[in-house]
Amino acid sequence: MNQFIMSMDAGGTMTDTFFVDDTGRFVVGKAQTTPADESIGFGRSVEDALAQWGQAPEAVFPKVATGIYSGTSMLNRLLERKGRRLGVIVTAGMEDYFQLERGIQTYLGYSYQDRLKVSTHRHNQPLVPRERMKGVRGRIDLFGTEAIPLYEHEAEAAVAELLDMDVEGIVVNLLFSYVNGAHENAVKEAALKVMQRKGKSVPIYLSSELYPVMQDFARLNTVTIEAYAAEPSRGQFQKIADRAKNFGGQFELRVMASHGGTISTEARELARTLISGPIGGMVGARYLGAELGIGNIVCSDIGGTSFDLGLITGGEFTTKTQPDMARFVLKLPLVDIDSVGAGTGSYVRLDPISKRIEFGPDSAGSRIGMCFEQGGVDTPTLSDCNIILGNLNPNNFLGGEVILNKERSYQAIKERIADPLGLDPYDAAEGVLQLFENHLRNEVYARVFGKGYSPEDYTLFSYGGGGPMHVAGYTKGLNFADVLVPAWAAGFSAFGCACADFEYRLDRTVNVATASPDLAPAAFEQGFDLLSGAVNAGWEGLRAKVKDEFAKSGVEAGQIEYRHCLRVQYVGQLNDVEIELPFQAIRSVDDIREIIERFEAAYSKEFSRSAKSPELGYLVTNVLVRGVVKVMKPALPNFPLHGPEPTADALKEIRPIYRNGKWHDARIFDMDELLPGNVITGPAVIEASSTTFMVPPGAEARLDQHLIFHLRHLED
Amino acid sequence: MSVSHDINTLRELKDGKLSFEKLHGLISGFKDADRFDKMVQIWQESVEWDDPILLPLAEHLFVVRKPDGRRVVKSTWGYEYCDVQENWKLHAKVFVRDSEELINEIYPDKLGCDPEWMQLREYYDPLSGALLEVEVVPPGYPIVHDFKPDIDTFYRDWLGRPVP
Repeated sequence: MNQFIMSMDAGGTMTDTFFVDDTGRFVVGKAQTTPADESIGFGRSVEDALAQWGQAPEAVFPKVATGIYSGTSMLNRLLERKGRRLGVIVTAGMEDYFQLERGIQTYLGYSYQDRLKVSTHRHNQPLVPRERMKGVRGRIDLFGTEAIPLYEHEAEAAVAELLDMDVEGIVVNLLFSYVNGAHENAVKEAALKVMQRKGKSVPIYLSSELYPVMQDFARLNTVTIEAYAAEPSRGQFQKIADRAKNFGGQFELRVMASHGGTISTEARELARTLISGPIGGMVGARYLGAELGIGNIVCSDIGGTSFDLGLITGGEFTTKTQPDMARFVLKLPLVDIDSVGAGTGSYVRLDPISKRIEFGPDSAGSRIGMCFEQGGVDTPTLSDCNIILGNLNPNNFLGGEVILNKERSYQAIKERIADPLGLDPYDAAEGVLQLFENHLRNEVYARVFGKGYSPEDYTLFSYGGGGPMHVAGYTKGLNFADVLVPAWAAGFSAFGCACADFEYRLDRTVNVATASPDLAPAAFEQGFDLLSGAVNAGWEGLRAKVKDEFAKSGVEAGQIEYRHCLRVQYVGQLNDVEIELPFQAIRSVDDIREIIERFEAAYSKEFSRSAKSPELGYLVTNVLVRGVVKVMKPALPNFPLHGPEPTADALKEIRPIYRNGKWHDARIFDMDELLPGNVITGPAVIEASSTTFMVPPGAEARLDQHLIFHLRHLED
Repeated sequence: MSVSHDINTLRELKDGKLSFEKLHGLISGFKDADRFDKMVQIWQESVEWDDPILLPLAEHLFVVRKPDGRRVVKSTWGYEYCDVQENWKLHAKVFVRDSEELINEIYPDKLGCDPEWMQLREYYDPLSGALLEVEVVPPGYPIVHDFKPDIDTFYRDWLGRPVP
């Protein structure tokens, strides 16, 4: 026991901390989140975790090599509109940006039904009110040339007015500044002059410096959120870092970012740490896959409120560049994850008119369901169905901390679901679960098949508190190469955060086109200088920025591994595809051929081979540089294998479970007592304190030396 | 399973005091079977006269049952217009904007219509002077009869009971 990795997740209600040592031994601690000063909850959670090892924080922290933060405080600051008081300077004529928004922002995050129901659409409360939005005349055109010079006196007046309104920061977002930032720089200079004259100083955020990417409105959102919500979070991080230091920690606290790497709390672009929750699982799955030699993975995570799905293909996940968060469209890289609004706590209702069973979209969340009397829930949930069928042990929820009332579940399902349908309550509950699992199975299938892949080539990982309960249901008949359930499924997201590399990913829009070398050789040769010049300069600039960011954490240039990527599309089409290149500068036409080859390979995989359109020519939209520094990762547990038969200690009881219209005597096992090598044949239920793994009749689960269950459907 | 909302929630809905989150839930959720009766109760509480409301007709207008059984259109402020089968607008105070000058009071400059082609008819409650309805029609167009409810059928077939 020499070194530890610590990761924490400060969620809306609970702060989890996860410690793993270099043999793969781990503990998870929990404590109430303390929003005003998160470091208090962090401290308690750490104590709770380490107490399980009988250790004091002071004994462990000096040996912590890596500490990673993820949390929702920044998101909450945004949702509650408790960010900083900002002023915004835009190109004159665009001052109503936040009032008008893009139409899509009025229904982001809605169910499909609500998207169609216009009366539910609603504008967001602007982050910056109209009176603090100032327009300045001047125009850079799309090629980056100055069409109208900047009216500097207007910029000065705007800054002066904003300063008089006591703003705490000024955001500058002018049209086409990603091609040419000259006007934004001029606004900054004007602002500095005015500030000096007025004896006031507030930070200035230029979109051309922070997020030099196209799509004006999304860029404005991103820069504004950076200034509004991300910047104030630095103080919060500092408090947590200080607490860790008080425990004797020597490490630099890093933050999980939306691109799947961790970044320093001093990073310039901190807004990308806004969401990190579901990404942890993807990062963990990618790492686990690499360790186990599995390149193609379907990640599935069931929590109380949602079902998250992501694909890892060839050891890499894909990245969205224009995600939405908290009802804002943003320009940030985000690991591609789809979320379906159905989890174990989702409410189950009967449509009073059509008598159709509906799930969610709302859920009981931490209040579980009708079975949890103190929760005050008055609609049955999927958990209630699991309870009455014997799938869930009412005395084992959170390791028995919460005792659930099976009778209440039964009554609720009888009255609300079964009686109106004229069904037996057990049949009704089983029907509901089957419907839920079918729904998930369709989603899984659609994600894999819709991308042109086949489940046979993929291994499915199931995690999250609710994943293991339903995994057999939603994988049945899909013929995945393997179905894996890690024994630490409930803490998998925290584990995943600990698996993330120290990585910056910066991008910049360039928009340069090239013709096809085969169809228009002359034009192709001619365009070489323009393309190579723009891409090479872009990459070089981004490499320098990445180096600067790492320098803040004391990382030397030699330790950084650079990866050079481009986003390319056919000229005139709308969707660009990200490709990685094996070189860091374009030196010859062969390099451009390589770009085209890689783009077309990726394009035909994502869309279709027959959709290739070389006659249109190729447009490089963005240049990207990823700088990665390898860090210590959690070790995979590795235990000697035992025989297939579990020990007598592992068997807790025999409990009837209802499945396929009849009761079965299921063996109930204690997950902690199972030994690597054991094979459990269904019907069986494997219980741990934070999750329950269902092995239905006709399936079996084998625990391997890494404490990962392999689920197999014997009948398939 | 039938949905039902708390009467205070509906009271807030009527007064426009519901938070958007709650309102969204109401719009998106299943229809509550008892909404009509509860809303009638809320409307009844909000007026100062005692004639029972049979049906809300339009903003500030109700169909009420008089003690002698007549069904009459009555405003929030107690003005009784006419029998429900008649057009209440014929008994309201009417103001017609049919000149450029009058139209410009509402739609200045070139924003208004040509009075030769279109006129604005405003209908006011005689007791309170509240604007109840505006018609935008060509000159000479008959007065529009917005809504002629079949109250008997509504009660019998939709609510499953006779008209009170």
